[in-house]
Amino acid sequence: MTSANTSVRPPALEIHDLTVAFDRKPVLWNIDLALPQGKLVGIIGPNGAGKSTLIKAVMGILPLSSGYAKIFDQPIDDVRSRISYVPQRESVDWDFPASVLDVAMMGRYAKLGLFRSPRKADRDAAMDCLKKVGLEAFAHRQISQLSGGQQQRTFLARALAQQADIYFMDEPFAGVDAATEKTIIDLLTSMTQNDKTIIVVHHDLQSVSQYFDWVILLNTRLIGYGPMEQTFNQANLQETYGGKLTLLSDVGDLIRRENFPNREGAKKVL
Amino acid sequence: MNALIDFFSFSDPNIRFVAFGSVLLTASSAIVGSFTFLNKKSLIGDAIAHAVLPGICLGFIVSQTKDPIILIVGAFITGWLSLVAVEFITARTRIKEDTAIGLVLSVFFGIGIVMLTVIQKSGSAAQSGLDHFLFGKAASLVGSDLMAFGTVALLLLVAVYLLFKEFTLLAFDKDFARSIGMPVKRIELVLTSMIVLAVVIGIQAVGVVLMAAILITPAAAARFWTNRIKVMILLASIFGAISGLSGAYISYIAPAMPTGPWIVIVISTIAFISFFFAPKRGVISRLIHQRGIRITINDENILKALYQLGEEAHDFFGERNLEDILRRRKLHPEHLVKILKRLKQQGYLERHDGRWRLTEEGKNRGQRVVKIHRLWELYLTTELRIAADHVHDDADTIEHLLTPELEAELEQLLKYPKQDPHKSEIPYP
Repeated sequence: MTSANTSVRPPALEIHDLTVAFDRKPVLWNIDLALPQGKLVGIIGPNGAGKSTLIKAVMGILPLSSGYAKIFDQPIDDVRSRISYVPQRESVDWDFPASVLDVAMMGRYAKLGLFRSPRKADRDAAMDCLKKVGLEAFAHRQISQLSGGQQQRTFLARALAQQADIYFMDEPFAGVDAATEKTIIDLLTSMTQNDKTIIVVHHDLQSVSQYFDWVILLNTRLIGYGPMEQTFNQANLQETYGGKLTLLSDVGDLIRRENFPNREGAKKVL
Repeated sequence: MNALIDFFSFSDPNIRFVAFGSVLLTASSAIVGSFTFLNKKSLIGDAIAHAVLPGICLGFIVSQTKDPIILIVGAFITGWLSLVAVEFITARTRIKEDTAIGLVLSVFFGIGIVMLTVIQKSGSAAQSGLDHFLFGKAASLVGSDLMAFGTVALLLLVAVYLLFKEFTLLAFDKDFARSIGMPVKRIELVLTSMIVLAVVIGIQAVGVVLMAAILITPAAAARFWTNRIKVMILLASIFGAISGLSGAYISYIAPAMPTGPWIVIVISTIAFISFFFAPKRGVISRLIHQRGIRITINDENILKALYQLGEEAHDFFGERNLEDILRRRKLHPEHLVKILKRLKQQGYLERHDGRWRLTEEGKNRGQRVVKIHRLWELYLTTELRIAADHVHDDADTIEHLLTPELEAELEQLLKYPKQDPHKSEIPYP
């Protein structure tokens, strides 16, 4: 894809002045960014940098203290059917009474809408996605009997079943074996070749430049974002991982202690 | 005995009412409760159950009748109020949910008991029987009551049928549900209303004090038997129905007896049985599985010892006596004989004049154990850089555990090595 082309199309994701707070303390301060379509984007930063928080806030799972996020230049709620979200593997109870196929089928729920139960076609589609991640032989297995890598692939199959245009994935490589990591990255790369946009929270600095086209460097505030070769440099990494901004963190603590609103007119906590 | 036949022949229309009513109430509570259980919100059910009491009393005070519809409305209002209170306290103060539930539960129940006492002392003739809501009385289910409660129960079943996929997704992965634009708040509202309704109708049979048991216990018991949510909910409803029916029976033969405690005893017995005897997830099944593992380890250790004796003697099929084996493997001779006999029965060993020799199959199995042991030692020293004198104990466990797939993976990874870290030869078939 040429850069002229990308500049004409609306950005896959645009975030404007976004602040998110937990218990009043801001964990993300005034994030501003825009990502083009069809890229594989890594979100990089140390523990507690707000990587997962950023995508949860964009998905509307966490409340925003300020700012907004738009996808394909539209409010999130208007384009939900084009978005897929893959939560962290540890965020669900894998002892839930469900089979691998049941979970993959959840990717079809948005298309089905309320009250309707999955049809045979949805089953076929889910099965097809399990095939793509190499889990067709495990379709009827209970999800607690899977390895970590297989659980992650189950989540991926569910995401594929959504047939979305933009994917947000929270640490899809955490705790997976080398074979699964390879399967996943190959799949993601081929998806971006079909013009899908994929945004991945990632932990392993070693593989960043090899895996992603674009990178977002995050540590409570945005340090930088852009194409890999321009952004993923020593200076930016130093700023992302080197020394915490103690003053910023102290101010955040103060806001929490004093029960201060993040923005004037925000709700009160007793 | 006659009472038993009388009751279960269902010839008396009154008995039919009571039996059908209790089954419907407990089964529908169990079905709705399954989602409470899967949402890990079991305590909430308890809070609602206690909080409906003031609502029932209020309904009576306002109307001066025991009209089930008015009582349901009253119970529904205070049941909901308790939930709102819990949610408000958790969201707006630093008090955690369990504390909030404890606070709300006792306050509402306390108020309810005060109101009930006032009503009972008021001398109103209509009030008699209101205390049945405390511990339940299935036998008092008649005609019009049953119509009202039955309608609510059917309503609950229809709602679960229609929103089954939504309730399931919400219990499994709420963030994902939000991300696909499911109206999570509204569906939660529906589910919570259903829990309140299930409590409101269930207390007729069980009473407010023990209502949580009929909401949660059937689901908890059913979970032991299956890994499929639909089967689990079906089982929960059957367990609920069984306990409801037995409660109704007790209520019929011993009218002075409150129904609730009996229902709880029956459902708890079912839960205990499930806890111990369910296949796979039950305690006994797990113990049997553990025992199987111990037997496998003992058997394989003896085959390994015999194989290693064969290595020493350069003759795998030579006859060995007990002392030979005990030299390699310290254990009680009687225990050893037991293991040897078992291995003989399984065709891994042969016995001639009190001496033992490996069969072809026995040699192969012993060889596999030795091979995995030595491969694992090599893996630990080369890949994990663990000192060669620290790897033996670990390998002693792993040798009994590895699946053929992992074994093949290990061989490939290490490129079919010839020797382990202690220079012993790694045997391949």
